[in-house]
Amino acid sequence: MRNRGLERDGIAPYVFLAPLLVLLVAFILYPVIMNLVASFTEWKGYGPMKWIGLANYRSMLADQAFWTSIQNTAILVCYIPLSVAVTVFVSALLREGLRGWQVYRAVLYIPNLLGLVIIGVVFSIYLRDDGPINLTLRWAGGPTLRFLISPWLAINSIAIIKVIWIHLGFGLIYFLAAMNGIDPGVYEAAIIDGAGFFQTLWRVTVPSIRFAIEFWVVFNFIEVFARMFSLIYTLTQGGPGYATFTLEYGIFIQGFAKFRVGYSSAWAMVLFLFCAVISVVQIRLMRRSSV
Amino acid sequence: MRRKASSIGAGWRVLVHVFLIALVVASILPLYNVIAASFKSADEFVMNPFLPPQSPTADNYAYAAISGRLLRYAVNSLVLVPLGLLVYLAVCISAGYAFGKMRFRLRLPLFLLVLFLTIFPQLLLATQVFKLTSLLHLTNTGPGVILAWVAYFSPFGTYIMTTYFADMPYELVEAARLDGASQFRILTRVMTPLAAPMIATIAIIGFQSMWNELPFSLLILQDQGSRTITLGIAMMRGEFGLRVPILSAAVVIAMAVPLVIFFIFQRRVTLGVTAGAIKG
Repeated sequence: MRNRGLERDGIAPYVFLAPLLVLLVAFILYPVIMNLVASFTEWKGYGPMKWIGLANYRSMLADQAFWTSIQNTAILVCYIPLSVAVTVFVSALLREGLRGWQVYRAVLYIPNLLGLVIIGVVFSIYLRDDGPINLTLRWAGGPTLRFLISPWLAINSIAIIKVIWIHLGFGLIYFLAAMNGIDPGVYEAAIIDGAGFFQTLWRVTVPSIRFAIEFWVVFNFIEVFARMFSLIYTLTQGGPGYATFTLEYGIFIQGFAKFRVGYSSAWAMVLFLFCAVISVVQIRLMRRSSV
Repeated sequence: MRRKASSIGAGWRVLVHVFLIALVVASILPLYNVIAASFKSADEFVMNPFLPPQSPTADNYAYAAISGRLLRYAVNSLVLVPLGLLVYLAVCISAGYAFGKMRFRLRLPLFLLVLFLTIFPQLLLATQVFKLTSLLHLTNTGPGVILAWVAYFSPFGTYIMTTYFADMPYELVEAARLDGASQFRILTRVMTPLAAPMIATIAIIGFQSMWNELPFSLLILQDQGSRTITLGIAMMRGEFGLRVPILSAAVVIAMAVPLVIFFIFQRRVTLGVTAGAIKG
């Protein structure tokens, strides 16, 4: 920000910020700190807290569900490069000014409007054993894919729905805006030089939108670590067994279904550490583009 | 956007269209499936789970709306979300103005704190948010869930408003000050009208976030009568033995509002996607 000398606006800024800061301290900062305290205790969420040191962390490290959650998060993360590739590729196609590109962009955005709860329910109907995909497969003489019953298929279905299917439309708008900022002369020069579509994409487009791609990767990390709960809750409810748990879902089950709040806080601390790192990376990106 | 020079040959264009249409089908088919199912009787759905309904019926809608209480939940959402949105806008605009156009010692540290708190997952906060709302006797009440929503969603809205206000010329503030206007008056009479386009954008973002929110409503609105439509749908999904066509009708009812909003405010939605990210 430009330096406007040392004059200050006195108390007024703090008055303007008060509503935000009060809410943040009460609903975010205090919960995060209390979470750390609770993770060293045995606590049902009500009644007295009993200090038990690192016992929660020890049980967590011995808990198969915890490691499955970590593994599932890793699977979700593995889809992020694919999401980048697909989204940038389709954006580059739309950038070429094909007839109807705005219609494609608008229709592909629709999944983003509906919210994870609706999408979870929609896919719970779509991916049933006698849902449309399986009926088609059976009609073609193929096997029945038990999308929500087979542990491996279930977590991969969730990953594809969230990281690819939902995010595509969002990314298209985002990357098209970024590509719109590239000087058209560069593209014209590339075409005169005889560069094909992929050469132009790799040599011109990708380097020019590097910041946007970094931002997109961070956005995807946030979604995968911090915004999966509603989809899992409505699509698989963490099942079969705990096969589609993520850290978020584990916190929910331990804390609100089994009332082991102290234990769930240990999970939450692991999630906190991941998110804190992502948050710091995101702030660095944001500060480069503003303020 | 004007037509640009293209590196895709005419023959390839057909193939590209085929590919894009395949993507569109893949993103629409699950939604079509639900809409088609919502108009089928239970018997027809067993025989014909995918093709368009042969003898369409609206019974599922009547059942979902009345017996499934969807109508009640929709009314709850239509009251809670706009109220929440008003509080959200007031908080974001006032904080965004302070960060964007005022000078004070703690500006940067506080702004970084707000940015830092933008991404923490709701489940990480859930226990204490629940404790806090019950401490304030706000469980099962509108104000309870609205406070939690606004607290959780306003850091991002504040960030967007901050960057917008920061880009506005400082002379606007100075001129108003020379006329003797107070900071409050400058914000409400000068800056807020000028920021209307971005306010509309964060209003859409905030509306979508609150309309689709699950974890906090799930914990705070435990009484069946106080559920939002999103919570109502999530709970219906878990009901044992609920027929797919009825669940589908419920989903279609819940989809209606976000879709209508999108078609009315399409351009704003598009702006909202890019507002939170890198400029230029």
